[in-house]
Amino acid sequence: MPKKVLVVGGGTGGTIVANNLAHRLHDQLVKGEVEITVIDPSSLHIYQPAYLLIPFGIMHRNEAVRPERSLLAEKVRFRQESATKIDLANRAVYSDSTRLEYDYLVIATGAKPDYSQVPGLEKAGYDFYTLDNAYKLREALGRFKGGKLVTAVAGIPFKCPTAPIEFAFLVDSYFTRLGLRDKVQVSYVYPLPRPFTIPNVAEEVQRMMENRKIEVSLLFNVESVDPEKKEIRSLEGETVKYDLAVLTPPHTGADVVKKSGIADKGGWIPTDRYSLNVKGYDDAYAIGDGTDLPVSKAGSAADFEAAVVATNIWDDINGFAPTLRYDGKVMCFIITGIGEATMLLFDYEHPPKPPPATFACYWYKLVYNRLYWTVTAKGMLPGFGV
Amino acid sequence: MNEQEKVKVIDARGSFCPGPLMELIRAVKESSVGEIIEVWSSDTGSQRDIPKWAEKAGHEFLGVVHEQGYDRIRVKKKR
Ligand SMILES: Cc1cc2nc3c(=O)[nH]c(=O)nc-3n(C[C@H](O)[C@H](O)[C@H](O)COP(=O)(O)OP(=O)(O)OC[C@H]3O[C@@H](n4cnc5c(N)ncnc54)[C@H](O)[C@@H]3O)c2cc1C
Repeated sequence: MPKKVLVVGGGTGGTIVANNLAHRLHDQLVKGEVEITVIDPSSLHIYQPAYLLIPFGIMHRNEAVRPERSLLAEKVRFRQESATKIDLANRAVYSDSTRLEYDYLVIATGAKPDYSQVPGLEKAGYDFYTLDNAYKLREALGRFKGGKLVTAVAGIPFKCPTAPIEFAFLVDSYFTRLGLRDKVQVSYVYPLPRPFTIPNVAEEVQRMMENRKIEVSLLFNVESVDPEKKEIRSLEGETVKYDLAVLTPPHTGADVVKKSGIADKGGWIPTDRYSLNVKGYDDAYAIGDGTDLPVSKAGSAADFEAAVVATNIWDDINGFAPTLRYDGKVMCFIITGIGEATMLLFDYEHPPKPPPATFACYWYKLVYNRLYWTVTAKGMLPGFGV
Repeated sequence: MNEQEKVKVIDARGSFCPGPLMELIRAVKESSVGEIIEVWSSDTGSQRDIPKWAEKAGHEFLGVVHEQGYDRIRVKKKR
């Protein structure tokens, strides 16, 4: 019987883990000693960081989407359907059409916006959390000739913690370039007492926002949005008026992990922070945005985690003790304007120390956006960073 | 702190910044005026952030009790 590796979710983490393993296990795959299957309802793989850049015309749909099959190594099986139940005790995953057994399971079902948590949110404004919404926002920004543009975070955690900050900086440069900056009041609204979760980065962000005349409102937890009156209301009893609202919705985990009784209250998968095992199961792993790990919901975290999991599964299949541990590594760019960026690199033990923003870093980010398809997603750097 | 009063305990130990604050906010939202909510947090940032939030939101910060490896932080819902 071949050893079966089953990956639920073919987004960033799932695709990387499957490809990384396929390279390492090539001979065993050819001989039929191992099987790797990815299951995902979507035939298309979307590079989500593009959502932030599409509104400003810096990236386009054709650079953001590829067929999932074209990314997966040839020997990886792809089932285009939804997993409907994950039965960890009996090592099986169900879909509407089948029951898939596994020896090793990787859950990489990601995070998704949950507009239902904030009344008025979906109707009120714009966001950059889906491809369609990124285009709607592009149109709205193009039409906006002046007034108050508010970008507010309506729930933590969410995908890519730096994205709302980057959005505010990009808006500042975008309207400066159009010669309209003095007509656009830019406001950044955030739930915590500082503009970012990590204190030293938050200080720098606050300083940069002040320099660029981006108004910062802190300790503002969005309770509801009134699209008619164009008002955002907070639990703390404050109201912010807007002409154009760009809101980061609260996020939650995938339905299948909730329905399978795996998820915690927020919908996240309880995951061992070092081994990346789903807590209590040494044959099941969770990676990426769907976990409850105390790290950013970022593709780079999913990438580093995928390398740890692929290495440990390879070890186990080949009779070695799986010993690699995830150290909490995350790498995030912060675009601080059109043509400039800095980078955060940190792990569980070492907070980030962002260097000054440069054009070189911005350029590298744009190059990386292309390399994602040919290097990262293909699992071409197995073990990168671990 | 008056240990006799009825309190709603939220165990947010093991959750990192801003987890405990976010859990407190959720609990305050779901409670009635006058109720006391006690968050257990092993994240040292909570002692700094929770009083700031309570003040801004118009609730009463009742104090912190340090236990082995975590803090018990109490807030009374005032409005
Ligand atoms: C605006 C924006 C900007 C970003 N910028 C950056 C950045 O600069 N750098 C960075 O590192 N990260 C960035 N990210 C975050 C990055 O995109 C995510 O962290 C990354 O995609 C997480 O990978 P994942 O595999 O966990 O989830 P995803 O890539 O979201 O994949 C989850 C997959 O699971 C599938 N799935 C869900 N339910 C089921 C089911 N029942 N059965 C089967 N499959 C299922 C979904 O269809 C999806 O394909 C950004 C995200 C956004 C939204």
